[in-house]
Amino acid sequence: MTTPYQILCVSEHANDTEIKQAYLNLVKENPPDRDQERFQQIQHAYETIKDSDSRINFELFHFPETGFNALLDHAFKQESEIQPMHPDDFFRLLNAVSIDKAVMGDIKNKSS
Amino acid sequence: MNEIIIGIDLGTTNSEVAIVENGKVHIITDDGKKILPSVVGIDDNGEILVGETARNQYLIYPERTVKSIKRLMGQDTHIIMAGLDYTPQEISAIILKRLKAIAEKHVGQSISKAVITVPAYFSDAQRQATREAGEIAGLEVVRMINEPTAAALVYGAGRDEAKRMLVYDLGGGTFDVSVVNVQAGVVEVLSSHGDNHLGGDDFDQQIVNHIQDHIKEQHGINISEHSKALARITRAAENAKLVLSDEPFAQIEEEYLLEHEGSPIHLTLELSRGDYEDMIEDYINATMDALHIALKGAKLTVSDIDEIILVGGSTRTPCIRERLFEEFGFEPHSEVDPDLCVAMGAATQAAMIAGQAIDTVLVDVTPYTYGTSALGFLDGEPYPYQFVPIIHKNSVLPTRKSEAFMTFQDGQESVNVRIYQGEDPDALNNIEIGEFTVEDLQDVPAGNIITLTLALDLNGMLHVSAKEKATGLEKSITINNAISRFETEELAGAKRRIDSLFGQMDSSSDEIETSDAVSQSKAVAEARQLIKKAEALFDTVSDEDKEDMVNLIETITDCIEAGDEGALQEPVEQLNDIIYYLES
Repeated sequence: MTTPYQILCVSEHANDTEIKQAYLNLVKENPPDRDQERFQQIQHAYETIKDSDSRINFELFHFPETGFNALLDHAFKQESEIQPMHPDDFFRLLNAVSIDKAVMGDIKNKSS
Repeated sequence: MNEIIIGIDLGTTNSEVAIVENGKVHIITDDGKKILPSVVGIDDNGEILVGETARNQYLIYPERTVKSIKRLMGQDTHIIMAGLDYTPQEISAIILKRLKAIAEKHVGQSISKAVITVPAYFSDAQRQATREAGEIAGLEVVRMINEPTAAALVYGAGRDEAKRMLVYDLGGGTFDVSVVNVQAGVVEVLSSHGDNHLGGDDFDQQIVNHIQDHIKEQHGINISEHSKALARITRAAENAKLVLSDEPFAQIEEEYLLEHEGSPIHLTLELSRGDYEDMIEDYINATMDALHIALKGAKLTVSDIDEIILVGGSTRTPCIRERLFEEFGFEPHSEVDPDLCVAMGAATQAAMIAGQAIDTVLVDVTPYTYGTSALGFLDGEPYPYQFVPIIHKNSVLPTRKSEAFMTFQDGQESVNVRIYQGEDPDALNNIEIGEFTVEDLQDVPAGNIITLTLALDLNGMLHVSAKEKATGLEKSITINNAISRFETEELAGAKRRIDSLFGQMDSSSDEIETSDAVSQSKAVAEARQLIKKAEALFDTVSDEDKEDMVNLIETITDCIEAGDEGALQEPVEQLNDIIYYLES
């Protein structure tokens, strides 16, 4: 699967400024007027990880490889049982977002 | 060669047309004039008048003249001009036709495509009406872009350093405010807000009311019953407003305004800037409130804004600059003529769509929240029309969002879907913009899942579909304003009617096909035909022949894409030979 980080070509430790710059560069190359699908993909990736709040949200609540319909099935238990979080994902979550760091980053951004 | 797409600012009081030539954007002039007043009229001989001449005629024949038509766009209404009924789309089309003719005269060839600007706060119905006006005028509207965004495109072009701008766009009839981030060649609208019915016309009306009161007080006459006198007062009010932009006082003098009980009535009145500013204070306050809503939408405060850009003729009112200075602590920018800026931005975007290399990319948002209503709760009580937002305001365009709903009755056969635009938790307080029914649902217990998908395209137009999840049964509509929607035949009829009004004036440019054929030369068209013919033969030919044909088709396609028509001839001839050989 492609993560928003991969779509924007940034590391999972990138800060707001780096993510914004990567987003703008990609938009410049893929204007909405040329390829709307591609643009929407970039836009969605950006909105998912643009600041520390959205990044924490993404790590906590994203369902890998699920579209709207899969989520729906999930929610109404029509096809699949609710699956517990995969241990790998859980450790990735612990590693990727240290809450302290996220908060520190926020303070730094505001003071600069 | 790239095909020509023009940029048009179709304004309430004035319209302009612009084009990018040799990488430079400029306004196309007509007899040296950059601005075409958005006024339409019919003269003594039944000939159509557009612009300055129509504006002058307004004083003598207000009943044969129409102005500020933009304020009625998207409404199900008719305007009477010289005894005949017209829709707002048709009147706008007359202005567009004139602008098209001005541009065609300039470039010396026919033009069939345009980017037209609309106020950011224009609703779906108003956008639809604008597109229809274009079609009636014989112009395919390849894109509608928001006016403040167009202006930001002009100011943002070629800027390297990151800047946050606030575009304050006060025109003749509409007000928009947008917060824009310009960085790394991308003009990114962060939020938009506005008012569809607030502009310089309202300022004029305040002065007109003031004059009316004055006459009533002095002579006991209700002037609104005298259309010619009222037309003169309206013109006098407009002039007074313009004078007050530069002077502290304006003299309003109209002699022989009308006759009352055998004696002529003259109007003499002095208006001070202070009195005028008091009259329009509520309007200015409303714009400042909108400005703060836009800032909030962008999650920014006054101190985050680096520049203010003034757009629209009404921003020449001195107290607007003063209020903005008080609010932000620095002077707003208006280096690019506020009347021309928007058309220039439209032309820039047009050039980009036509495939010219333009170094600025545009990312825009919707100022509206769209959603539906469902059985839910309001203030803790069960309520049948709870508003369920689906696309939130300030979402980046294009966007597509889905929401799932369930039927609430066993064996429910149909679902009625209403689409609203607005922010209120009670759907009935929002604007209903469309309604449709999904029928023939499965006979199952309550809880049948229906997904509703809303999509907004780059023009800010809404497309809606609903789907029964279990069966895939789908119903989709484009929200063309249900009340004033033009059917295709009606549009064609309107086009013929407007065309005939113009008579022989520009019959040469009337019959312009808007198909792809215009954009490609004869050689390219023939090559495409040949490729189709070859592909049709694929099933019947030997592998060896097929391989040769595929190779030739690739070569031809490459040439077409590279725009190299000279290189086309050889592979086309070879392919032709093979087909000839196979068919014989």
